[in-house]
Amino acid sequence: MNTLTMDNRPAQARLAPAIAIRNLDFWYGENHALRGISLDFPTRQVTGMIGPSGCGKSTLLRILNRMYDLYPGQRAMGEVLFDGRNILSPGIDVNVLRSRIGMVFQKPTPFPMSIYDNIAFGVRLHERLSRTEMDQRVENVLRRVALWGEVKDRLNASAAALSGGQQQRLCIARTIATRPEIILLDEPTSALDPISTARIEELLDELKQEFSIAIVTHNLQQAARCADRVAFFYMGELVEVDTADKMFTAPHEKRTQDYITGRFG
Amino acid sequence: MMEMPSTTAGQGAAVSGRSTGGNAGDIAFGVLARLAGWSILLVMAGIIIVLVSGGWQAFAAFGPGFITSTAWNPISHNFGAATSIFGTLVTTVVALVFAVPFAFGVAFWLVEMAPPALARVIETAVQLLAAVPSIIFGMWGFFIVVPFMAHYVEPVATRYLGHVPGIGLLFRGAPYGTGLLTGGLILAIMVTPFICSVMADVFVSIPAVLKESAFGLGATRWEVMRKVVLPWSRQAVMGGIMLGTGRALGETMAVTFVIGNSNRLGWSLFAPGNTIASLIALEFPESSAGSLKLSALLALGAILMVISFITLACSRMFLQRGLKN
Repeated sequence: MNTLTMDNRPAQARLAPAIAIRNLDFWYGENHALRGISLDFPTRQVTGMIGPSGCGKSTLLRILNRMYDLYPGQRAMGEVLFDGRNILSPGIDVNVLRSRIGMVFQKPTPFPMSIYDNIAFGVRLHERLSRTEMDQRVENVLRRVALWGEVKDRLNASAAALSGGQQQRLCIARTIATRPEIILLDEPTSALDPISTARIEELLDELKQEFSIAIVTHNLQQAARCADRVAFFYMGELVEVDTADKMFTAPHEKRTQDYITGRFG
Repeated sequence: MMEMPSTTAGQGAAVSGRSTGGNAGDIAFGVLARLAGWSILLVMAGIIIVLVSGGWQAFAAFGPGFITSTAWNPISHNFGAATSIFGTLVTTVVALVFAVPFAFGVAFWLVEMAPPALARVIETAVQLLAAVPSIIFGMWGFFIVVPFMAHYVEPVATRYLGHVPGIGLLFRGAPYGTGLLTGGLILAIMVTPFICSVMADVFVSIPAVLKESAFGLGATRWEVMRKVVLPWSRQAVMGGIMLGTGRALGETMAVTFVIGNSNRLGWSLFAPGNTIASLIALEFPESSAGSLKLSALLALGAILMVISFITLACSRMFLQRGLKN
């Protein structure tokens, strides 16, 4: 894991995809929410997922860390290959999986504890660190999300006292603190003001040096700004996937064109 | 108060030309509702006046020593509250020691693990448990739990815990079956549904995304419960526990059946004792009007009211703070 994260080869180099989805189907009870999805998430790139509400893009994200496991009646079929294994197979330890594939949610969700403990929480689940090592880890991730300067004097204060944008950066810090290989972001800026949004977008650009990122967004400009590749979903199907440039200038599919020009959704 | 409804009645008639009968009904209903609301205060005041004035004779005769005295002797007219206060508090503490973990286990399982269909059945069962009349618990306790305690639980507890320094004191003594421990256990079963439903309600009310965030970091169900759900719902859970405490403090019939009803104060949980409520229930029919004994019982009632009030106030405070979060 460390060799992977420390590796600084340029993102363009040909690498095996971080995650490869093959023929994935998903059901909420009787509702067939995703149909025959095949999609690669390239290593250390940002993959944006766009599409109208209910198209299945968030559902896909929640399959990648098996979050759907928490709810009865939801099931997935097909293959999601991560590190050479199908994460949908029953033998996978979901707790380890989720520490390697982190997730950031639509609304900031700080835990009811101090800023320090919010970050230490996830780390303590998987690693035994000395006090100094933990202090370093906390400082390190807070610096990475550009929050250190704002909170270093009140690490023991409740995280609830932070602003929305700060809370979301804290949630990102908390996610990278467990040293995942992949970060999933589910509309991470939809509850934030434009300035906080810009800061998160800058952060994504930096984080992709080290992590593979999948981001679901309703904001097409955001997808164009942040994503290397963009996938367009419509009614549970993957319509088209291409580089962000091609997707927003010369899409192949008519449905894609209709969506990005605002004709529906 | 009368003016406003009459103007609206006049306008109603002027505007629509309809009969004003509906408005008369409205006024009557308003008056009744107001009366009902105020009568609650009246009832409360009545209870407090009866308890305090009735108990005054005892408070005057024994002074503050009434609360610390362990005497209860109708022959020599010497009465004290200490034993029954002690019994009330001990049985309540025993009840909470068993009920809180039990209720937590049930609530956790219901909310986090049980298949939805089964959870509905168990939830209904929990509510039904709360609806069982306390006299039923009393009889069941007397015929089933008391012999069980006497033959199995108490001898075994004495054998294995009786020699432990400190807490060993609690588990010595003759295994009568009736006593503080059995009383506390029956209470535990009776208050569990109350604590459990409050816990289940707050556990369900936690934003799913907060739990998912913790799961998303690779936490297990237990870690999510202990480190996220419980801290988040701490206040409301405390409120639920106090609610159960309030009920345990005042519970009468079930306890009277199994506590042994003896005016004793000691370390052993196996020893018979009494509670304020059970003592009043037993002695009240045997007290003549105007006697010092009756006054002492009413004074005990006043003390129980004070303890219950404090508990309920704490419960409300915790629940309100819990809901604000």
